[in-house]
Amino acid sequence: MALKELSSLEKCLGLKKPNKYSTQGEKKVPVLQNNQGSALVGLVTIASHLVCEAQRTELLGDSAEQRAVVQQWLEYRVTRLDGCSKDEVKVILKELNQYLEDKVYMAGNCFTLADALMYYGIHHIVMELAVEEKERYLNVTRWFDHIQHYPGVRHHLPPVVVLRNRVYPSSQH
Amino acid sequence: MYAVYVLVHGLTLYTYAENWRAYKAQIAAQYSGVHLKVASTPPAFTFGQTNRLPNFLNSFPLGKVPAFQGDDGFCLFESNAIAHYLSTDALRGSTPQASAHILQWVNFADSEIIPPASAWVFPTLGIMQFNKQATEQAKEEVKRMLLVLNQHLNTRTFLVGERVTLADITVVCSLLWIYKQVLEPAFREPYPNVNRWFGTCINQPQFKAVLGEVKLCEKMAQFDAKKFAELQPKKETPSKKEKGGKDAGKQQLQQHHEKKEKKEKKEEKKAASPAEEMDECEAALASEPKTKDPFAHLPKSTFVLDEFKRKYSNEDTLTVALPHFWENFDKEGYSIWYGEYRFPEELAMTFMSCNLITGMFQRLDKLRKNAFASVILFGTNNDSSISGIWVFRGQDLAFSLSEDWQIDYESYNWRKMDVDSEECKTMVKEYFAWEGEFKHVGKPFNQGKVFK
Ligand SMILES: N[C@@H](CCC(=O)N[C@@H](CS)C(=O)NCC(=O)O)C(=O)O
Repeated sequence: MALKELSSLEKCLGLKKPNKYSTQGEKKVPVLQNNQGSALVGLVTIASHLVCEAQRTELLGDSAEQRAVVQQWLEYRVTRLDGCSKDEVKVILKELNQYLEDKVYMAGNCFTLADALMYYGIHHIVMELAVEEKERYLNVTRWFDHIQHYPGVRHHLPPVVVLRNRVYPSSQH
Repeated sequence: MYAVYVLVHGLTLYTYAENWRAYKAQIAAQYSGVHLKVASTPPAFTFGQTNRLPNFLNSFPLGKVPAFQGDDGFCLFESNAIAHYLSTDALRGSTPQASAHILQWVNFADSEIIPPASAWVFPTLGIMQFNKQATEQAKEEVKRMLLVLNQHLNTRTFLVGERVTLADITVVCSLLWIYKQVLEPAFREPYPNVNRWFGTCINQPQFKAVLGEVKLCEKMAQFDAKKFAELQPKKETPSKKEKGGKDAGKQQLQQHHEKKEKKEKKEEKKAASPAEEMDECEAALASEPKTKDPFAHLPKSTFVLDEFKRKYSNEDTLTVALPHFWENFDKEGYSIWYGEYRFPEELAMTFMSCNLITGMFQRLDKLRKNAFASVILFGTNNDSSISGIWVFRGQDLAFSLSEDWQIDYESYNWRKMDVDSEECKTMVKEYFAWEGEFKHVGKPFNQGKVFK
């Protein structure tokens, strides 16, 4: 799962040479072995490394504040989203929906690594949402649709169909 | 022929400074990476002057800005057309559906946003009289329009598709004034989707490069009575209504005022949008630094200088322009002067001499309406002279009328010509046509420049 995601990220970043990853432990934490012999461990660490390698550091945030917000959501992704229970899913969707009401992107006013990794991480959840739920979490859905259309992001994941005209107009707002 | 506005090369956008209509084109150019020169300040462009020049009107018959000129001479007016031209395919919409949707929002901006937004904002800028009923009605229309946008943006990131398009650029620019002046937090709160979208757009680097930091309204601006009063007297001097001479302008203005009064009475009943009364162009004109018209004291003249300039620019000098000049010249209202550069020994290279002449013309820019000149450089490098024939409104050298005009004139010897003399007829003919003996000079014609 995380390995496919990293290879999609590589393509998204325009990195030509694919890296070889292995996993560690029960949770299948990704590991990147580099030539110097030391290893990079963990999704966020490796993803950030890839961004630097691609010389796209603006994707980590272009101000101190934005960098902090990017890091916050990367952490949220691995600590809250990954492997969460069904009940937690509802809470997370509600939190994100509220957060995204006045935002187009996870951090600042442009696409960052936080958008990419949140998108990869939440895809299987949004995929399963019923139409009515997609409308209930409208801001998440809108954000998700925008990111899945963002050039070069989607790759290994199937597109999720999003309706523009609401079927249950009274459910929110 | 010399006119300031042809001096600018490359892709040029003529406008007054900080014009939201011009912003549309400027932002589109940011997206497409087109390098666009913005001519908004003198000497390249002076609003109310450059856009009245015959040359400008030749390319842009309305004399309105923004106006665009490509380096290949391709000309466009109407801000939406200019923005369209400067866009990428992605900004214009790459499917028939997308481009039609974009056109839909562009028209929405012009017909649903601009009229009520102007009616509400102009009084707060002091450029339109306050009318409570009209303002309240405008507020309601703004609310309705924002609601439509809010609903549309509920499920969407941008207006059309998943990327910024001309639709976003146009609608954002059209909302700029109300977001800055009157949409205080409580008023805009019911439209979170519009706020989110607007905030995202104005913070895209391409928008920011043009708009800078946009400061959203904190407290709804109210009618600025003081500024309105200040700007009022300016309307007494002919501005855009002036077509013929000064008095003709005045008459028209008076008619305009009368019409306006009648109109206002009607409006009390139906409370129509007064936006058309004074638009932001007039406002921009009105807020131009107030320079008194130094020719204001002169009686009306029958000689229409602009008419002659048009003939001179467009028709043959000897067979059309000169006969027109002598048929219509009014020696009471105008005078003819011969000016000769006093330091010919300093004129080394001819290109420097040319710069001397064009520089002088630029400094005299504000005199254009009331003067015409043909100035000629004679001779070659290290052996040249400069002299010209000037036509001025009034009987005096115009230079003393304004401080701005006095930089160059002391470098010339000035001689008033006897309009009826043979000498004058010959000189006018030779200098205007750039050919003839030039007996008094004794050097061959090198090149000429025309101030018009
Ligand atoms: N629909 C035109 C409007 C242009 C327009 O009204 N321009 C005004 C300035 S806001 C102008 O140049 N007026 C000068 C004049 O009328 O002499 C556009 O969008 O370009």
